[in-house]
Amino acid sequence: MADLNAVEIRNVSKIFGFGEFAFAAVNDTSVAIRQNEFFTLLGPSGCGKTTLLRLIAGFEFPTAGEILLNGANIAAMPPFKRPVNTVFQSYALFPHMTVAENIGFGLQMLGRPKAEIEARVAEMLKLVRMEELRGRRTSQISGGQQQRVALARALAPQPKVLLLDEPLSALDYKLRKDMQIELKRLQSETGITFIFVTHDQEEALTMSDRVAVMSAGRILQVGSPREIYDAPTDRFVADFIGETNFLKGRVVSITDGIAQVDTGVGGRIAAALPQGFVPEGEVTVVLRPEHAMLCAPDHSGACQMTGTLENVVYFGTDTHYHVRLADGVTSFTLREQNKPLQAARFASGDRVGIAIESNAARVLRN
Amino acid sequence: MARQFSVRRQTGFTTIAMICFFALYLPIAVLVIYAFNAGQSLSIWEGFSLRWFVKAFENQHVIEASIRSLQIAVVAALVATAAATMAALATTRTEPYRGLTLKYAFINQPLMIPEIVTAVALLIFFSRIKVWTGYSGLGYLIAAHTAFCIPFAYLPIRARLENMDLTLERAAADLYATPWKTFRYVTLPLLWPGILAGLMLAFVISLDDVVITEFVKSAGQDTLPTYMLGQLRRAITPEMNAISTLFLLLSICIVTVFFFVNKKRI
Ligand SMILES: Nc1ncnc2c1ncn2[C@@H]1O[C@H](COP(=O)(O)OP(=O)(O)O)[C@@H](O)[C@H]1O
Ligand SMILES: [Mg+2]
Repeated sequence: MADLNAVEIRNVSKIFGFGEFAFAAVNDTSVAIRQNEFFTLLGPSGCGKTTLLRLIAGFEFPTAGEILLNGANIAAMPPFKRPVNTVFQSYALFPHMTVAENIGFGLQMLGRPKAEIEARVAEMLKLVRMEELRGRRTSQISGGQQQRVALARALAPQPKVLLLDEPLSALDYKLRKDMQIELKRLQSETGITFIFVTHDQEEALTMSDRVAVMSAGRILQVGSPREIYDAPTDRFVADFIGETNFLKGRVVSITDGIAQVDTGVGGRIAAALPQGFVPEGEVTVVLRPEHAMLCAPDHSGACQMTGTLENVVYFGTDTHYHVRLADGVTSFTLREQNKPLQAARFASGDRVGIAIESNAARVLRN
Repeated sequence: MARQFSVRRQTGFTTIAMICFFALYLPIAVLVIYAFNAGQSLSIWEGFSLRWFVKAFENQHVIEASIRSLQIAVVAALVATAAATMAALATTRTEPYRGLTLKYAFINQPLMIPEIVTAVALLIFFSRIKVWTGYSGLGYLIAAHTAFCIPFAYLPIRARLENMDLTLERAAADLYATPWKTFRYVTLPLLWPGILAGLMLAFVISLDDVVITEFVKSAGQDTLPTYMLGQLRRAITPEMNAISTLFLLLSICIVTVFFFVNKKRI
């Protein structure tokens, strides 16, 4: 059991509509979600996150492909037979039942004995800190409390996998921050595999063990938050998560997976290549704004690029510099942390050099 | 600040509203008042009395017609509501497909077809069946009433279903409820006010029907409305007023009960 993936998606497609209206909401996608991990599907609205989640829950059936739960193919199994529970974006609490009845519903449907249901409901109420509100109608509690009830209701039957579709998007900022921590706690306390959907990159990076970035029905990259942020392999991933600089260049030489790239705006940049990627012709190099520093342009050696400083924006914690590179076309952003009482080193219009930290630049696949 | 347009500020609005109001309720008020008249007249007040109510209660025809009316209305409303519930579920809990609109039209056609046309058609149709089967009981009236009650029961149930969040049913399925248990524990309790509304509407519509009943009924199968219609051809006494008043009271009771039941639910 330990080696089996909690959920495995194999070449799954979901096509809505027919003929000329056919539209692939999920397009030949594969991904494996491990046991007991907090796995996040991240992507812009409309990229197919909800559809993928509903395929796992059983509300939709794949047009093609397999969905494995602990190694067993469940693609054709109806939702009420799948040991998977969902926290809906709208919570979907039953308005004609009390908080406790809502939480006990799953166990009741499974035909568990009354005493067991009661004990489990009490345990769940305690887990989400809602003991005093057990007799309330769901319309008589706040949004944050409804959120907790929805969580407790989905966790009560002890599912193999918990699916959460943007569960925090309806909450205000403060409550959302609290619930992020709460969700993390629930996940580690229960040890249940969480598949979490969000379009908020910050939420994805702070909460997840691993993140899958989706676009237009496909998963582009899967990795730990650090991998996704530091080593995006895809232009979309790099652009969607955080701020990024894109530089065009030619690969001059390759040693040990590190390419020397000539960008035509100064010296050469050492950039890591994605695994198994053989560059041809022009490539794109990505670099985060905080991984570069301004330097004096004549200071040869350390400066890999030169350009003109166009704009300086002070943000308190850090300062953003916008540089027009020597080719006169590409703009490049740097972010430097501010030190106490530090005088501005450069002003708009100055000619500047840009020094890049080692291991920071990466070549994209596309 | 510009003054907003308001119908209530238009000259004569109040007057017209009052005229309509009186035109609607004054005749009914007069009818109710003269039910308590001690004399024979419908227009000359001769003092307060309950004699016409007593007379109505002692009139065997009235009692028989009332019981028949209630029998037909109860059975027709129950059957029509059950059928309407299933029809509403079938037409809302499905992906839209070609022919669905046609189905809506089909279910609601009794609302569109003039009642007199249905009445004539049923008269001809049922008289054939009566000849073939020899059966001439209340079944024909009940069948006819059920048929024209279905769209009235269907409309509030469908409205309720359409406003119901589909995710609730999905959530139930997600929590291991089979389709039947989902219906039993989630859909039905939430649909209940719509079903009650449909039931009461169907009941009142059946109770009130004259045209179709008049055509379909066999000899001696008068319902209260057709009995009253028959009596109007003879000399009218305040007994008619008394019966009408009781009928009105029943209607008000049903509407009131319905109002409170509906208010109590979410
Ligand atoms: N039942 C459906 N019928 C047709 N198109 C759908 C259906 N469900 C989703 N889609 C389409 O599939 C795409 C992905 O939707 P969804 O999975 O909800 O995206 P996300 O959750 O990432 O915002 C959207 O373009 C949406 O319009
Ligand atoms: Mg979505």
